[in-house]
Amino acid sequence: MDHASHGHHITPKSLLIKVFGSLILLTILTVAVSRVHLGALNVPVAIAIAVVKMMLVVTVFMAVKWDNKVNALVIGLSALFVSIFLIFTLFDTAYRGDLSNVDRVPISDQQRQQSAEMAPADAGAAASEMPASGH
Amino acid sequence: MDQQFDASKMGMWIFLVTEVLLFSGMFVAYTVYRVWHPETFDLLSGALDWRLGGFNTLVLLGSSFTVAMSIHSIQKSDKKATVMYLVITLICAAAFMVVKYIEYTTKFEHGVFPGAHFAPHGEHYAPFDVPYAPQFFSIYFVMTGIHGVHVLVGMGVIAWIAIRTAKGHFDSQYYTPIELTGLYWHLVDIIWIFLFPLLYLI
Repeated sequence: MDHASHGHHITPKSLLIKVFGSLILLTILTVAVSRVHLGALNVPVAIAIAVVKMMLVVTVFMAVKWDNKVNALVIGLSALFVSIFLIFTLFDTAYRGDLSNVDRVPISDQQRQQSAEMAPADAGAAASEMPASGH
Repeated sequence: MDQQFDASKMGMWIFLVTEVLLFSGMFVAYTVYRVWHPETFDLLSGALDWRLGGFNTLVLLGSSFTVAMSIHSIQKSDKKATVMYLVITLICAAAFMVVKYIEYTTKFEHGVFPGAHFAPHGEHYAPFDVPYAPQFFSIYFVMTGIHGVHVLVGMGVIAWIAIRTAKGHFDSQYYTPIELTGLYWHLVDIIWIFLFPLLYLI
């Protein structure tokens, strides 16, 4: 039985090196982007870069691209259920108490506003310390 | 033989799915607390040293590459190269754990413990004594701790696989244990790919 009849794909060394290089560049990119203040966008951008890195590892390093398709199905279903787990939990925790809330603003946002009004001096001090902490 | 290989590989993937389930519970906890206290999580990522976290990311990515290279080598029956790449993987994993040890002990020395014993002091950590900081550090210690245990387990398995390769147990016709170990190691790498930005950067 030679390699061909054995049916195992040998991932070329050059491709492995290219993927490794891309992963390093994406790591540098995610650090660089996190230094830039994008407001609400910082979190989605960091997660998007991490997802791209994960896809590179799964398709090439874990060789799913050349693997039996049933394994890709197992992984896809796993990812689907992780997102259901995450999103359905947030339906609860992010909107807790809002079922009986007659205000337009969700309760969690109201609480955040209240605590910001109660301790404006503290919040200001904490925010100004962040860049000074040398991170 | 091919059928056995396919079956064992799928079994490994299903095991990895259970690992994803284990970690997704912690990622959900992270997300819930982050949505509840975004300003705390924003501030506290600055309490962790992104240079140490970044170094560990590069080291783990390097180890993933060398594991992939070890499988590439055994598929060509190059046992010497396979053992060499597995040993480099072990060195990278050890470097990761050394950095993790430095991070943990520095935090403990400054009173940064998970849970009720949280009492940060010192120039760097004192400003981070804000509401919900204990929750952030509990999540940090549990997630990186369980990930660290996975690195240690991976090191044990890789050492065993390297010894078996050196003894000549594997060649291009039979290398299933190396391939399955590689899959596990890549998963550990993927978990860290997410932990690094979520905890250290944002």
